[in-house]
Amino acid sequence: MAEQKPGKKIGCGLLGCAIPLATFIILLVVIIPTSIFGIISGAFGKKFIPAPTVELPASVVFHLGPLPVTNTILTSWITVVVLILIALLVTRRSKLIPGRLQGAVEAIIEWMYNFCKDVAGPENGRRFFPFVTTIFLFVLLNALMNLIPGFGSITFTNAEGTFPLLRGANTDINTALAIAILAFVFIEFWGFKNNKFGYLKKFFNFSRGLKGWGQLFTGKLGKGLGNIFMGAIDTFVGFLEFFSEIIRIVSFTFRLFGNMTGGEILILILFFLLGFAGFGFIQIGYLFEVLVGVVQALIFSGLTLVFATMAAEKHEGEHTEGTK
Amino acid sequence: MTEYTWRLLAAGIAMGLGAIGPGIGVGLVGLGALNALGRNPEAKGSIMTYMILAIAMAEAVAIYALVVAILLIFVTKG
Repeated sequence: MAEQKPGKKIGCGLLGCAIPLATFIILLVVIIPTSIFGIISGAFGKKFIPAPTVELPASVVFHLGPLPVTNTILTSWITVVVLILIALLVTRRSKLIPGRLQGAVEAIIEWMYNFCKDVAGPENGRRFFPFVTTIFLFVLLNALMNLIPGFGSITFTNAEGTFPLLRGANTDINTALAIAILAFVFIEFWGFKNNKFGYLKKFFNFSRGLKGWGQLFTGKLGKGLGNIFMGAIDTFVGFLEFFSEIIRIVSFTFRLFGNMTGGEILILILFFLLGFAGFGFIQIGYLFEVLVGVVQALIFSGLTLVFATMAAEKHEGEHTEGTK
Repeated sequence: MTEYTWRLLAAGIAMGLGAIGPGIGVGLVGLGALNALGRNPEAKGSIMTYMILAIAMAEAVAIYALVVAILLIFVTKG
């Protein structure tokens, strides 16, 4: 790309002729397979395509020693390999004026970095950025893997029956639970790191109650009772906050799992009930699932970022801000 | 009515009633976002981002109801 022929339009923008390329990809990936499969799986194809079954617990493919490896774990391994490949390709020979792949990856990373800095402030944004972006990219690629045409069609047969060999990793509740626990540990780590053990004061706030008892014994009856009452409310609110931190794990898990499993069931129902008659609806449903995948990845990482920002706030007015 | 019929009925009621609240909630979030956008069209980027975040938080409750319905249909086979 060193010199352009004279008379040729210089470049097509950062991603290089983005609109024709995007149209080609959308045509190839979405419309043609969905139409073909819509025709096949409708009323015509009931003989040779079996009705889909949804197994909520993921099916075990093989055992690695004592640990079972399910089909969703295989998909998440593929996602990890794809992410590592993209990272290697982009950073191996990075140019100052980026080519297409490097430009696209840079655009995503820079957008995510600005998002982190917007929400968490400049210094915390830099610290939270790697983990949050990892969650975003992992969840996004898992969700998009589930929508590749023909993804669940490769089957294997074992003692219990025939199962798909690959299944979207987010539809397994274990994946969602694992990422949620990691996010929880991340949030608590930053809470403790910025406030040392004073972080626990947010939850177990006995200072006002104890001050009230002290005032009661030194004779200030009115103020004492008032502070005891406020101390009881503080304890209750602190307990509620502690409980809601724990419940965050459950809510993260079920938000991701429910969206992805509901999306998978929606796609199956759209194809197998509507067939070709629902030509527009199938494509709209498919694109909706892509959107849901992107939004859920954004939600997971964005909420982790917001909660980490709230946890990492230093106590106001205690001391001047440190140098780091 | 067999037990399977009751389970299907329960799944339908769970999802149906469980979608009323989040539906209203998401509508309210959209209302707030559109109001803010009308007052201040320049802040479109951050309004859109936080609107998407708030919509997903409100929709998570509907997803919990969906999970209960899915569990009732697919997991509790007897």
